[in-house]
Parts: sequence; structure tokens; C-alpha cells
Amino acid sequence: MAQREGIQGLTDQEVVALARSGAETAYRELVRRYERPIFSLVYRMVRDRELAEDLSQETFIKALNALDSYRPEYKFSSWIFKIANNAAIDQLRRRELDTLSLEGSPHAATPDAVEATALQIGSRGESALDAVASIELGGEIEKAIAQLRPEYRSCILLRHVEGYAYEEIAQILDLPLGTVKTYIHRARHELRRALEHLRQ
Amino acid sequence: MTSPSGAHLAFDDFDVLLSGDAESPLHAPAEAHLAGCNQCRAELAAQSTLIARLESLPFFSPSLAFSDLVLQRVALPDPFALRSLATSRKRLLASRRSLVAVSVVLCAVVGTMLASVMWTLANPDAVSSVGTWAGNTASQWLWVAIRGGFANIVEQPWLGTAQAWFATPLRLALLSLGITLIYVGGLVALRRLMALPRAGAAHA
Repeated sequence: MAQREGIQGLTDQEVVALARSGAETAYRELVRRYERPIFSLVYRMVRDRELAEDLSQETFIKALNALDSYRPEYKFSSWIFKIANNAAIDQLRRRELDTLSLEGSPHAATPDAVEATALQIGSRGESALDAVASIELGGEIEKAIAQLRPEYRSCILLRHVEGYAYEEIAQILDLPLGTVKTYIHRARHELRRALEHLRQ
Repeated sequence: MTSPSGAHLAFDDFDVLLSGDAESPLHAPAEAHLAGCNQCRAELAAQSTLIARLESLPFFSPSLAFSDLVLQRVALPDPFALRSLATSRKRLLASRRSLVAVSVVLCAVVGTMLASVMWTLANPDAVSSVGTWAGNTASQWLWVAIRGGFANIVEQPWLGTAQAWFATPLRLALLSLGITLIYVGGLVALRRLMALPRAGAAHA
């Protein structure tokens, strides 16, 4: 217990150094520090609790198994957020492809061919986890965030929910600083437009 | 993204005002502009409200078993092995004498390996004849062992009784069934023993 209290006062870099020396408590501490921010970001990106949990787990497993390749001159938080964001964006791209194939082949020439190549799925009841997601993410602002393009969503969440500086966001997302500012500017504009009806 | 003089405030100006960064060179001109521009004041208020709403969004928590599930799949380094490695490295590189000793041993090992590879490449016939001799000797020993084993079994007094027990096809089938059941039972037991505990088990 005393060891755990001691570790809580250390910086991320110090905890990573301890983890590299094989201390399991250090691994647990890294998970404890970032599980909620990472999960929240991924959850708001993919809007599916179960999937967000899987992607967050993958993020931590990937990061903790590659601690040796982590360079301490970078912030650990930026590094792990980069992994999480990439996982979420990859998932959204895959989902987009799946949606295309569900809607039928893009090469189909006639409406009949489109229908024939589309996957047939039976009606799907809302699972308990889906119900939790729709309550948790049901607020007007959450809905407005969900309408944003994924790149805008990452930027706005990292800036105003996670509290990162523009430079750090640029580093996490591998984008030029100007692009990050533009995305945030546009995201704010779109959010305001989406929430306009609340003011009236 | 700063505004040209006379135009309304730009993104960077609003950002400076929203963050309250009074040190920024953009702050004073932006404040001055704001005093005389209703449109920018309204814009600032709207942005400020939006940001306050975003900043008040809650963090979500993953399931209780999250960290256990993650750590089950992380290869934790063995602290004892790491410490031993570090100690050995420290000792080996501690003094000039130990450094020389390590270098000599390394040179001897690498030199021997290199010499061995060179000799092998230079004498392919000798290597092949040694290989043939080793193969023949190994197969001879194998046959001697098999024959010895069989001869030993044939000499056993219980062999006749055992043969009589499984002389009929029915008894043979029963024996095969018994052996198969024992094997399958063993497999099932092994699988249960090696199964990872369920996530909920830790919190039961």
C-alpha cells in the first residue's frame, strides 16, 4: 500500500522507468492514470462502449508491451493518446468500409445488383451496452460531437476535454500546427451551429 | 491567423482572450478591439459558453476488470533477471582487468567459432564422412535397442497371459476404448487446468 502511495507522487517518466525495471505496480499505476482519459476519448470517437473498451485495452497492451521503445523526451500521455487515437481512427475507417459493403457493391450497375450484393441483416435489438451508451452519450453536446468529422472530433476532444496544448495535439495527431488550429476552429463553428437551437 | 488591422478578431485573438493569457502580444490589441465591437463580443461570449460546456464533459470509466485484463496480456519483465543482468554487466565492466578478461574470453569464443566454420568450409569431404559414420552408428544403436527391448518383452512370464486376455476382437476393442477414454479425460483435465481465470473471478 505504501509502495502504491509512493508511486502516485512520481512523474510519468519515473513510473515508466520503474515499469521498465519490472515493477508490476508501475504498470498498474500507468493504467490507473490513463484508463479514464483514454477510454473517454475512444468511447466518444467510436460511440460503442464494448468496442471502446476493447480498443482501449489494445491501446494499453500495445503501449505497455513497447515501453522499451518509448523515448522519455516525449510526454508519455502524448504517446499513449497517439496510439489510442490511431486505434479509434482505424476502427472508424474499417466501419466505413463495412457500411459500404452492407449497402451493396459500389460496382453494381443496377439497383437490383446493388440489392443483390448487399448483406442481409435481421433486425437487431438494442443490447444492454448499447442502451448504456445511448444514455451516456445522449446529451445534446455529445450528439453534436458525434456529428463532427473524426479528425475534428479528435482535435476538439484533445483540446477541450483532455486539455492539451495545440503543439501537443499536433504531435499526437501527426498534423501541422496550422491544421490543428483550423480543425479546432471549424469544429467549434460546427458545434455552435449544431447547438444553436438550444439557445432559441 | 491574426486579423488584419481594422477587421474583426481572428481565431488566435479569440484564443488568447479565452485562455486569459495577458502576457501575449495579441491580448492588448484584442481587448481594445473588443471594447468597440459588439459582434466580436458576442462571438467571444458564444465561444466561451461552448468551451465551458466542452470542459464540463465527464470522463467515463471502463469496466472494473479493465486493468486486470490489460495486465494479463502484458509481458512484464522479470525484475530478478533484469537485476542479475545489470549486476553482471556492472561487475564485468568494473575494472580494467575484468574488461580484459571479458575481451579475451569473447575473442576465444568468437575465434573458435570462426575457426570451426573455416575448417568446415575447407574440408567438406571430412565433414561428410563424419556425418555418414555418425548416421550409421546411430541407426545401428537404434536397432540394437529395439531388438533388445522386444527380446526382453518376449522373455517375460506374463506375456502369454496378457496375449490370452486380448485374443478376441471384442476385448481388443474394449482395451482401445479404455485407452481412448483415459486419453480424452487427460486432455480435458489439462485444458481445465490451463484455462485462464474468468475476469469476474477476481472480484467474486
